[in-house]
Amino acid sequence: MGIFTRIFRNNRDKLADRHMSEPSGEKEVQCSRRLSENVEYILGAFHQTNDLKIRVLKKGEAALLYFESLAEHEKIHEKIFAPLEMGHADDVFQLPNAKKTSDLEEAVRTLLRGHAIYMEEGKKEISQFSVTSSFGRTPEEPQNEKVVRGAHDGFVENMMTNINLIRKRVEHRDLTIKYFKLGKKTNTNVSVIYMDGIADPTLVQEIETRLHSIDSDMIHSPGHVEEFIEDQSNSPFPQMLNTERPDRVAANLVEGRVAIMSEGSPTTLIAPATFFMFYQAPDDYNMRWFTGTFVRLIRLFSFIIAVGLPAFYIAVVSFHFEVIPDELIIPVKASINEIAYPPIIEGLVMVIIIELIREAGIRLPAPIGQTIGIVGGLVIGDAVVRAGLVSNIMVIVVALTAIASFVVPSNELSTALRLLTFPLIVLAGTLGFIGIVFGMLIILTHLTRLHSFGVPYFAPLAPLSLVDLKDTFVRLPMFMMKLRPKDAHALKPVALDPSREWKNRDGQNQSKQGSPGEKTSSTKDTKQ
Amino acid sequence: MKVCFFICMVCTLFLTGCWDEKQFKNVKLVLSLGFDQGEEGEIIQTVSIPTVNRASEGPGSESLQIVSTSANTPLHARDKIDQMISETYDPSKVKVVLLGEDLAKKNIYPILDDMYRSPRSNLNAYLAVVEEGTAKEVISMNHSGATRISNYIGGLLEAAVSSTHATGENLQLLCAELLEPGIDFSVPLLKIEDDGSLLTFNGMGLFHEKAYTGEKIGAEQTTMYMLLQGVKGRVARLTEKIDDNGKDEILDYVTVSVAENDRKMKVENKDGEIAATIHLDMSVKIAEYPSDHLYVKGRIEEISKKLSERLTEESVDIIAQLQEANSDVFGIGRRVKAYHPEVWKEIDWSETYPEISITPTVEVEIIQHGIIN
Amino acid sequence: MHSVARQDGWISLLIGALAIQVILLGIWVVAKSFPEDTLYTINDKLFTKWIGKPISILYILYFIGVGSLIILLFCRMISMWVLPNTPLWVTSSLLISVCMYMVSGGLIVLGRMYTMLSLLLGLLIFFIIIATKEMHLMYLFPILESGWGKVFAGINKAIFSFFGFIVSLVIFSKVEGSHVQKLKTIVYAHCFVTTFYMFTVFASFTFFSTSELKLVPEPVLYMLKAFTLPIIARIDLFFISIWVINVATTLATYLYMASLGLSDLFKREPQSHFIVLIGVIIFIISIYVGLDISRIQAFNKVVTNSGYIFSVALPLIMVPLSYFIRNRRKGESSS
Repeated sequence: MGIFTRIFRNNRDKLADRHMSEPSGEKEVQCSRRLSENVEYILGAFHQTNDLKIRVLKKGEAALLYFESLAEHEKIHEKIFAPLEMGHADDVFQLPNAKKTSDLEEAVRTLLRGHAIYMEEGKKEISQFSVTSSFGRTPEEPQNEKVVRGAHDGFVENMMTNINLIRKRVEHRDLTIKYFKLGKKTNTNVSVIYMDGIADPTLVQEIETRLHSIDSDMIHSPGHVEEFIEDQSNSPFPQMLNTERPDRVAANLVEGRVAIMSEGSPTTLIAPATFFMFYQAPDDYNMRWFTGTFVRLIRLFSFIIAVGLPAFYIAVVSFHFEVIPDELIIPVKASINEIAYPPIIEGLVMVIIIELIREAGIRLPAPIGQTIGIVGGLVIGDAVVRAGLVSNIMVIVVALTAIASFVVPSNELSTALRLLTFPLIVLAGTLGFIGIVFGMLIILTHLTRLHSFGVPYFAPLAPLSLVDLKDTFVRLPMFMMKLRPKDAHALKPVALDPSREWKNRDGQNQSKQGSPGEKTSSTKDTKQ
Repeated sequence: MKVCFFICMVCTLFLTGCWDEKQFKNVKLVLSLGFDQGEEGEIIQTVSIPTVNRASEGPGSESLQIVSTSANTPLHARDKIDQMISETYDPSKVKVVLLGEDLAKKNIYPILDDMYRSPRSNLNAYLAVVEEGTAKEVISMNHSGATRISNYIGGLLEAAVSSTHATGENLQLLCAELLEPGIDFSVPLLKIEDDGSLLTFNGMGLFHEKAYTGEKIGAEQTTMYMLLQGVKGRVARLTEKIDDNGKDEILDYVTVSVAENDRKMKVENKDGEIAATIHLDMSVKIAEYPSDHLYVKGRIEEISKKLSERLTEESVDIIAQLQEANSDVFGIGRRVKAYHPEVWKEIDWSETYPEISITPTVEVEIIQHGIIN
Repeated sequence: MHSVARQDGWISLLIGALAIQVILLGIWVVAKSFPEDTLYTINDKLFTKWIGKPISILYILYFIGVGSLIILLFCRMISMWVLPNTPLWVTSSLLISVCMYMVSGGLIVLGRMYTMLSLLLGLLIFFIIIATKEMHLMYLFPILESGWGKVFAGINKAIFSFFGFIVSLVIFSKVEGSHVQKLKTIVYAHCFVTTFYMFTVFASFTFFSTSELKLVPEPVLYMLKAFTLPIIARIDLFFISIWVINVATTLATYLYMASLGLSDLFKREPQSHFIVLIGVIIFIISIYVGLDISRIQAFNKVVTNSGYIFSVALPLIMVPLSYFIRNRRKGESSS
């Protein structure tokens, strides 16, 4: 880390090509003067793989090596042959876009990255040309995080494009990116992104240590990384926020959190995450704050429905039917009177059916997916009630639960919530309300005990911080969010200075005495 | 260790099952409950049990089962009824409890003890007394209209509450007055109409301590009676005769609806003599006044003055009835106990109450007279 | 409480609260002079090792006793109001295991849980407020009908509900903040608790008539039983459900204190074993005593009386002792 920052800071002193990641600890093999030996070495390193192309040039005096599966022919032509033909350079080694090395191992690595290498008989030098072909999607809006208003771009599988999207949004010198190579066989590029000076250095340090300690053959997705570095694996709750939206990442970076990206996946991990972050959607910040607050409250209400409604209903109909108000008692009674199974079985069966329909719908192509929805939702729902297997109130309850669980903006949390309904249903079926309360108490205790990278997961409810509730249950206007949320442990607490000073201008014009100083009017602003 | 413990917990929960499970679908709901006096001191309990059949769409068809049995105590009767019906019956959603007149004239607490003692009972139920009849007749009556008898009686009583004819006290609130010395209560009276298909609200039956006195405040006077208690429903209409010009009977009357009602009661102790004054301040709106001419100056004041007089007379009448029945509905005794404890200890309230002087004054102010003059 | 002091119970409550406030001050003085120590190490220092250790053990036993009493009273309430057929061991083992889970997170987790769950008190207050529309202030009169003697006898009962304050002595050193801050917190907390109790007592005393209240052991629940909201009837069931949470937090506190005592006594850090041990002990005691009314009452009496020794007498003895020790220490350091 120390070395790294020194290189970073003192760029002027040491001019050297900077690598994607530090080649530290890897062996170096000097290339020999004999071309055939070098080619032999490289072919050996790749176990005579067939897609390694060797073009012999200069009548056998030189060779150009590249993976035809990784390199792009047009680029090779454009970068190597075109300048030669145009007469810009006499020799391949003098081409300015070449990167030179004398290390064969490095050549092997760059080849894997899609570069082409050029070697000549009698020269202890290798030129590398970046001719990587890339097949990238365009940054389209991610399917699972759509917004109505706001930015409609999303991350793609190419990490460079993703970092580009972030840098475009945070044009500041403090935005720092660190590369890691993870996976002994896959050599996946992983980057850690944070705002130096805002993010807590101990947090960054902690994440780096945890990333370094990963010793796995393969890292293929951020989910993989997440399992290695999260605090508590025995928990249904996700402890890092997954997102594919650049604007969300940028906002979290500025709040002082750290983002982790990996090559080949559009999903970015954000740490530390708190429970309520999963209930924030980028949409909230594009709305008027009244509507934003309203939507927030609806979403949090959906949490209670998703977790508790089936359990509550089962507790009511099998333990405490006194709770049903007088007007409703006969309709409810009529609906469940002749159902063969006890409510707990009914409930479990219906919840599982909903999960089946959902799981069946995800993998299928869109047109068939709709059919599944119709068959599952309408036909089964209706038929099951007519057959008298399940009461229609139970269908309503389970459907409501399913809808409520899909309201959560984050997919992982939504799955976690649906998982939590099962133990609660069982508890409700054995002990009624008391069982539900115990279940909830266990969940709450668990949430309180969870930490995500040293940050209490259930903040700002536990520990209770009334100030931070401004962006959890409600969303107050932007200009009131003066302080960054405490849970990110940001170094600089102040996020914005008074930004509606223009209001004072009118006030001063009206009261011509000019006595109200800036102080009084700025306090007024905060109260609005 | 932890995992082991957790698994053990889950297993025990699953294996031992549900001790208190009481499936709603397996329960016969009882919505109205009636008690009568039997011939040899036992009580007769009558319940109506609705059974609803499921229909795939809309409300299902309903059938009523009426079961009656005689037993020593209410719970004893319940056990007997359980032996007569399929499944078990559950009184936790009872909406109306009816008492036959004969039974009500005894101590009613023993009948209600089970209701008060069980944690599952519905203390929000109404209590009513059937005048000149038995609860069994009411519950098993074949009333016109398709609704259940509990709905019918419940709706009837609720309407009485909202039109300021009844206090709307449920079992819970009655309990306080039932047990506390120096405060009595009144309960709505129901009567079956002659043709046997209709019920009417027939005034408030006055109780003394724990038993029905047999006296009542008639349905015409209940509104005033409620207002004297300081209770006002959503609507409180009073129709009074204020003129006597002999021409057309209907022109003599005025109907006002009470907008605000402020009751002040004072209990004074004059050398061991208890005297109570009830002052009622009403703001009313004229709802009906056939002889109109309200634009005439001074007319409104005249009406309000006459109204005050008439209502005071009526109040005196009501209070006389109360004292005659020895029913201290206003809780004067409790006030004596609270504010003049030394007097309370010396007197026997049941004997003193009919003797004390209670002076009502009613003051009426007309604040509106509809959209015409 | 009402059974003794009749309608003047609220006066007893108020006097009891004041008395406790004084004791709290004493506790604060004691704890202030040992800013590094928990109750148990204070015992060692104040009473020397040979007396201090047995006292600590007695304290632990007392906490276990209170814990079992809480469990018993809670389970009795549950079995009377909600689950009459569920055996005692189910409810008590559930409650104890939830509390063990809570306590094993340490003091920080406990603190966070409590602050979060205290928001639920608002809901309880709301429920009671619904009921206050039927209150009759008249029922509070005549004041002092049964005389001062009964009022003082009522204090006996009232004070029991405040015995939880001994917590402040145990965890004083574990909380960050200056002494004055802590004192403020303690006083505020106590005031809040008193107001809450007063509010509840007032609501139930004015709702029920004096003679009815004699018959009703759990007036608040009984009061809520008759109320109906448009969406739900029988508010008492919801009240109990929320009350469960409060009971759990209280039990967790005693569990924590007892296990802290054990780990202090044996000078071993990982509390988790002790927590399990104490949980099991409390469970066994609760099963042993059972839900039999007379046995619970006997047990209740024992615990309440020992409460006077441990929560009132001992802290008051500690006050002069701590002065004495502090002076001596000062003398030693100056010489």
